[in-house]
Amino acid sequence: MSLSQAAIEVTVVGGYLGAGKTTLMNHILTESKDPVAVLINDFGDINIDSELIQSVDGNSIALTNGCICCSLVDGYVSALEELRCREPRPKRIIVEASGVADPASVAAYGHAPGFYLNAVVVMVDGANVMEQLNDSLVAQTVAVQIATADLIALNKKDLLSDFTTVRNELKKLNAEALITDCTNSEIDLDLLFGSEVVTKAAVSVEMNQFDSRSHTSSDPISRQALTEWIERLPDEVQRAKGVLRLDEEPEIPMVFQLVGRRWNLRALAERKNPPLGNQIVVVGPKGLVPEDWDVGLR
Amino acid sequence: MNGEPIKLFVAKKIVTMDPATPTATAIAVQGDRIVGIGDSEDPELRKAAQIDDRFSQHILLPGFVEAHAHVMSGGLWEFPYVGFYERVDPTGRIWKGCGDIESVVERLVEYEEQMGDPTQTLIAWGLDPIFLEGDRLSASHLDQVSRTRPIFVFHASGHLATVNSEMMLKSGIDRHSPTPGVVRDGDGEPNGELQEPAAMSLALEGLSSIGKAIMSTEAKWNFGYEARNCGVTTVADLGTTRLALEGQLEAWREVTDEKNYPVRVVVAFGHYDSGASPTDIDALAGLAVRLRNEEETAKLRFGIVKLILDGSIQGFTARLSPPHYFDPPAGHQGNGLWLIPPEQMPKIVASYHKAGLTVHCHCNGDEASEVFIEAVEKALAEHPRDDHRHTVQHSQLTTAKQYKKMASLGMNANIFSNHIFYWGDQHAEITVGPHRAASMDACATAERENVKFSIHSDAPITPMSQLHTIWCAVNRQTASGKILGPGERIGIHKALEASTIDAAHQLRLDDEIGSLQVGKLADFTVLEADPYEVKPDKLKEIPVWGTVVGGVVHQAASD
Repeated sequence: MSLSQAAIEVTVVGGYLGAGKTTLMNHILTESKDPVAVLINDFGDINIDSELIQSVDGNSIALTNGCICCSLVDGYVSALEELRCREPRPKRIIVEASGVADPASVAAYGHAPGFYLNAVVVMVDGANVMEQLNDSLVAQTVAVQIATADLIALNKKDLLSDFTTVRNELKKLNAEALITDCTNSEIDLDLLFGSEVVTKAAVSVEMNQFDSRSHTSSDPISRQALTEWIERLPDEVQRAKGVLRLDEEPEIPMVFQLVGRRWNLRALAERKNPPLGNQIVVVGPKGLVPEDWDVGLR
Repeated sequence: MNGEPIKLFVAKKIVTMDPATPTATAIAVQGDRIVGIGDSEDPELRKAAQIDDRFSQHILLPGFVEAHAHVMSGGLWEFPYVGFYERVDPTGRIWKGCGDIESVVERLVEYEEQMGDPTQTLIAWGLDPIFLEGDRLSASHLDQVSRTRPIFVFHASGHLATVNSEMMLKSGIDRHSPTPGVVRDGDGEPNGELQEPAAMSLALEGLSSIGKAIMSTEAKWNFGYEARNCGVTTVADLGTTRLALEGQLEAWREVTDEKNYPVRVVVAFGHYDSGASPTDIDALAGLAVRLRNEEETAKLRFGIVKLILDGSIQGFTARLSPPHYFDPPAGHQGNGLWLIPPEQMPKIVASYHKAGLTVHCHCNGDEASEVFIEAVEKALAEHPRDDHRHTVQHSQLTTAKQYKKMASLGMNANIFSNHIFYWGDQHAEITVGPHRAASMDACATAERENVKFSIHSDAPITPMSQLHTIWCAVNRQTASGKILGPGERIGIHKALEASTIDAAHQLRLDDEIGSLQVGKLADFTVLEADPYEVKPDKLKEIPVWGTVVGGVVHQAASD
């Protein structure tokens, strides 16, 4: 879904060198149902099928499926500004953080007027993460990245001998994030982006492995009701996102994001054509999201 | 050169840095080269030469080489300075330091009154809250300067800015702004301080004006004037210029080709700012080699590659070995940040090394020095190469053991001696503690371990002034007057070598500059007192008359 007609959704992909960030970028470019723009550090790494390339123009490559791939050589501000001014404007941008960056510092750009932040996903190299966390040179860098994540993708699952140990270690560093596992960076995009559709009625939308349900209403919600609703949300709900109005300041549209048990609520910086009322979507494994998930919001 | 007239500069004393002829009183110049050197009464020298005795009461030295500065230093002078320490601008005007917020506001009011267009943005630079007691600068202070024009005050750290209410209004910054780094007061209202690039970029007009100023032609001229004013005849722009950007190479060429441009510039090639893909390092190296082989002119030089491996000590982002930081701010993660993954360093260094380039790597912390030294060791094992001169830049916490290793590998160091004065007190009390601070910027250790080293300002981080940097290395006196690690002080001759021939060496220019010898370029620093004669603590007060670059005389601007 698009939370706001006026603003572009930004997702940040972090993780240490070799964790599979670029492979995820490739995966998104080929699997996304909607045209997206990806911002990457380096064209040299990305492996786009030449038949998919429509045109190359300086710092950007346009693909035949409508996606755009842009280089970050001129920095985040200039790359984001270029996409904001582009026609047609992409609805969704995925930004790659460098292998040593704290993804939070990159995510901060996702709150500028014209944008809103979806989530920070951090790729973890399943085969090497335990070694990295014990290496005094890189332990802090890797640990901070994991702690920053909303969604942790434990990659290279096939090369992982002791899945539980690694998972527990990740939990220790970040108890609230949603941890998903994958090989070849093949994350379920429904989980990464949340559902694509908000319908007028609260109905279930068919997805691959997940169900998505949506809620729309018009009256502002109290902060307390929202918090209580989140606290009571069944564990099966792995992802929720939406835009809503709080009764304390109903004129400000608030962006709500929940990944695992990490959630936040921030004002939408873009003030033109703000979305009205409340629209919230939840995503959970097929058949496991209860019908009455939005009772607390009604 | 043949056929051109010979000019004989007569001086009170000429210090050559050539051990065979350590001093002289006359130097003959034909075109841009030195053709004779010796006694001013020597008839051989006087024969067929025009005598120029304007320096008869002056001291000539080989032109100072500042091997680590940034052209940004020239660009910032487009805007008023509001820093704590006094600075001299390219025109020679002395800008007194602003010791408190009142004087910052006063300076801006004064400047604002001369601005024509009442809607034009006022930009200022150099603010460093670490030195100012009391409240931090906020929008309410800047609103006293103007409520109608946007104001953007860029801090010295480069990580923060403070803006006024009009700038916030124009940039859509309000109590609902979701961007982290928008600092708020007790009532949740933004107070004008913007921390880190994402928040600063909300006030895009201010930030991009600074970006433009840094890249401008005026910046390049002002950088040259700053160098001239402090006696520098060769300066390295160590990784500011984005050479791959259209027009930047041409702009440097145009400026440095001017006869009046008073300094030779070594423009280093920035690994991450090249416009090409950083994974294809061999292609980047090829680009850097092409610049060196095909684009060099008398006053524009290449061949140095700049890498940045860690952050800064005062920003708590340098990579230190245990026990890390002494008294870090609450919430600090313990150690600093890598800007390049340490595992990638061997591959990166090897690519440039194989291509025959010289790698200068920013390493403020000793853990960063270690990673770079190991990368050089690996590159040398795989591709043995004589005389590479790879250089640890800043080298602030490099240990004796590391210097020993550097000597065995043929590496150089460029030591950030100015830190001792500008942040030495903070290093002893807060960042690394008194014990480690005493052995920071360890010139005497480098000397003992036989590492060739230079000393630098990193302008605009500290003001460019080679005599001040020399004074720091010789005295190791902090701003509060303490002596930090007296055992690491070096003698005046070593400090002068570090500022001339050894700095030229690490820029691979010692065959042309750095000492005064027949056949070398006629680049001199002209001083009004002899650095060997003045008391060590007065070194920074020696007046600089100006310079000679390639035989062309450039007088320093004065207030």
